[in-house]
Amino acid sequence: MSRKHTNRKRDKCSIAANLDKASLVVTGCCIEMCPESERCERQRQKRLHRFEILVGTEKHKLPIADPNRTVKEYSRPAAGKVLSCADVLRPADVLMKTVRFLIDDIALSEMDAPWTEVYDFVFDRLRSVRQDMTIQRMGGKPCVAILELSLRFLIYTSYKLCEEPVQHFEPQINDTHVQECFNWLLGSYKLGTHPNEPEFQSLALLYNLGSAKALSYALQLPEGVRHAAPVQLAFSINRAFQERNFVRFFRLVRKLPYLQSCAIHRHLGCCHRELLRLYSQAYSSKNCRYPIELLTEIFALDSTLEATELCQRHGLVVCGDFVVFSKMSFIDQGDVTSRHTYKLVDSKLREQTIADVLHGLPWRLCTDKKAESLAITDTGKRN
Amino acid sequence: MAHITINQYLQQVVEAIDTRDGAFCAELLSFKHPHVANPRLQLANPEEKCQQVLEPPHDEMVAAHLRCTYAVANHDFVEAYKCQTVVVQYPFYSKWYATLYIFLYLLFLCQADQQLAKKGKGKIGDMLEKAAEQLMSCFRICASDNRAGIDDSKKWGMLFLINQLFKIYFKINKLHLCKPLIRAIDSSNLKDEYSMAQRVTYKYYVGRKAMFDSDFKQAEEYLSFAFQHCHRSSQKNKRMILIYLLPVKMLLGHMPTNQLLRKYDLLQFADVTKAVSEGNLLLLNDALSKHETFFIRCGIFLILEKLKIITYRNLFKKVYLLLKTHQLPLDAFLVSLKFMQVEDVDIDEVQCILANLIYMGHIKGYISHQHQKLVVSKQNPFPPLSSVS
Repeated sequence: MSRKHTNRKRDKCSIAANLDKASLVVTGCCIEMCPESERCERQRQKRLHRFEILVGTEKHKLPIADPNRTVKEYSRPAAGKVLSCADVLRPADVLMKTVRFLIDDIALSEMDAPWTEVYDFVFDRLRSVRQDMTIQRMGGKPCVAILELSLRFLIYTSYKLCEEPVQHFEPQINDTHVQECFNWLLGSYKLGTHPNEPEFQSLALLYNLGSAKALSYALQLPEGVRHAAPVQLAFSINRAFQERNFVRFFRLVRKLPYLQSCAIHRHLGCCHRELLRLYSQAYSSKNCRYPIELLTEIFALDSTLEATELCQRHGLVVCGDFVVFSKMSFIDQGDVTSRHTYKLVDSKLREQTIADVLHGLPWRLCTDKKAESLAITDTGKRN
Repeated sequence: MAHITINQYLQQVVEAIDTRDGAFCAELLSFKHPHVANPRLQLANPEEKCQQVLEPPHDEMVAAHLRCTYAVANHDFVEAYKCQTVVVQYPFYSKWYATLYIFLYLLFLCQADQQLAKKGKGKIGDMLEKAAEQLMSCFRICASDNRAGIDDSKKWGMLFLINQLFKIYFKINKLHLCKPLIRAIDSSNLKDEYSMAQRVTYKYYVGRKAMFDSDFKQAEEYLSFAFQHCHRSSQKNKRMILIYLLPVKMLLGHMPTNQLLRKYDLLQFADVTKAVSEGNLLLLNDALSKHETFFIRCGIFLILEKLKIITYRNLFKKVYLLLKTHQLPLDAFLVSLKFMQVEDVDIDEVQCILANLIYMGHIKGYISHQHQKLVVSKQNPFPPLSSVS
């Protein structure tokens, strides 16, 4: 046989081999949240996080790792590093236990620690959980449960820390991981039925407001999910945004429950800016006197002071209780820094606790009396 | 063809190769040809037989093809895909060779993809992505072929491969991957020399991509070309092109006639067209939800929703024509919407809709909040749709 022929034969084998690699899967057997080898190593090297240190040993020369509080950290893949050894991989039930611990015993319990510190720790340990899941090619219900809990935490944080400077919290990095979790979760939803699916499909639509890709994906969901109330509301909001009907947009956003409001919050600044841009042109005239109070109401801002600041920041003149729209004056300020907002987000917390939010306790449509009095119906009806 | 022996089949292949009959050779390796139903050719291990009659690399190619027919007969599409992958590996040698179409390659892909997904292994789209990688490597070989003369150049395979890659990218929803391919063809000096069929397919896909990027003028150009040059007898293809051309044309203000819609069995668009021309929002919403499944499947639902603003524009123009004044009370617009049975809209939303129409250039004028009026230009306040953006 010619050399060419043998080479081609070898190539063929490697192609077949690549296609078969999928069948090699490891199942972890580490029953602790952190494999013993890592716990001992980090203790020895003094690389324990303060949440992981055994109470009473913090001031010791060598603080001791609390085996009930040490959690496996994320390990960047590198040449020579063996990540797929069964001893250091945690199986599904241990991973679930780990995530519950991170949410309940760290995020919801460490009252003295600032949320930025809590976030850094939980974010990293959740990343490690996902790493274990990937290596073991985990799927199905345990995977879904873990991703749902992780996403609630990450989305809640994206709102809570939105005012922090970049040194303490990087929205871009958080966003990358949120998207990764969404892609994985939405893919996992394709097999079987999942009770929380409507909630998370709506979260995905709101978090990715304006994304044609997210919208086309959601339009092709099975009927049962697509017609669920949370998803229909998310569609209506997307529709209002696409049509640039911001009046309707802000009205609908008032109806969102707390976590969904957190998800959409990062887009609100842009919507305020675009509505100002629209109005600057449409109302542009020398005699224009648009009431600041009406603007505050339509933009769902927390106070007329905020509305005034918003207009002035964009180059518009405010005279007493009126703003003078002028297309010549409007200045595009690009991306505005996010701020916490009461009317559109904080006010929705009501009787819920953060624990409720992170655990996804019964989803209720927010009962904003003002929104109801405007008699907007959104379920199923399109407009 | 359905009764020949393996030896007779192989002889035909040899003859096709020797006489450089690319078209016939392609048929012998394609799945649209009746030979694939022949149980005598559906062999699990045809390698030896092939080696006896054919020279490398044809022996391996044909063996893989025969294994594929065996796999398909047994409904093992994963295996069929693997075999076809082997067949695709072989680079083209010349133009005649480049006409070796691999039919139904993509069909196996989809079926293999679904079979694997059902077993819980891997995600849907994995197989398609792998196939895209294979085709990409074939494409690179073709694109970088600078040695042979123009008649023998592998560059002739480029457009065909690009069209297959487009099909996959559209299916797995990764349209951004089309960009480098489009660039490659734009810079190629062969771009107008390929067969019309290939060029029509190409324009169809770039037209759809332009639609996705909201570049409607370009989309109209590409899709119109595809529609005009598509062969008269390919009703099915013409219809497919029309499905995308219609929304684009409607956005630019050109409504199709019912005659056209009936000719191509696209009456789903009839109500949409009527609603937009009349400014009838209720009818538009009804039409969109009635044929929702069809529009979503074709991927044009979101674009048709953009027709809403055109519908508002048409309705409000009617109000202007009725009132015969250039200072229109905002209330009049609200009334017109209520008349059209659009219930849950109030004066603030009406102002926002008007603001959008002004901003987009569909209305020349401004809103006076104090007087609660829309003041329009005395000259041509509602410019024709085709002249806007």
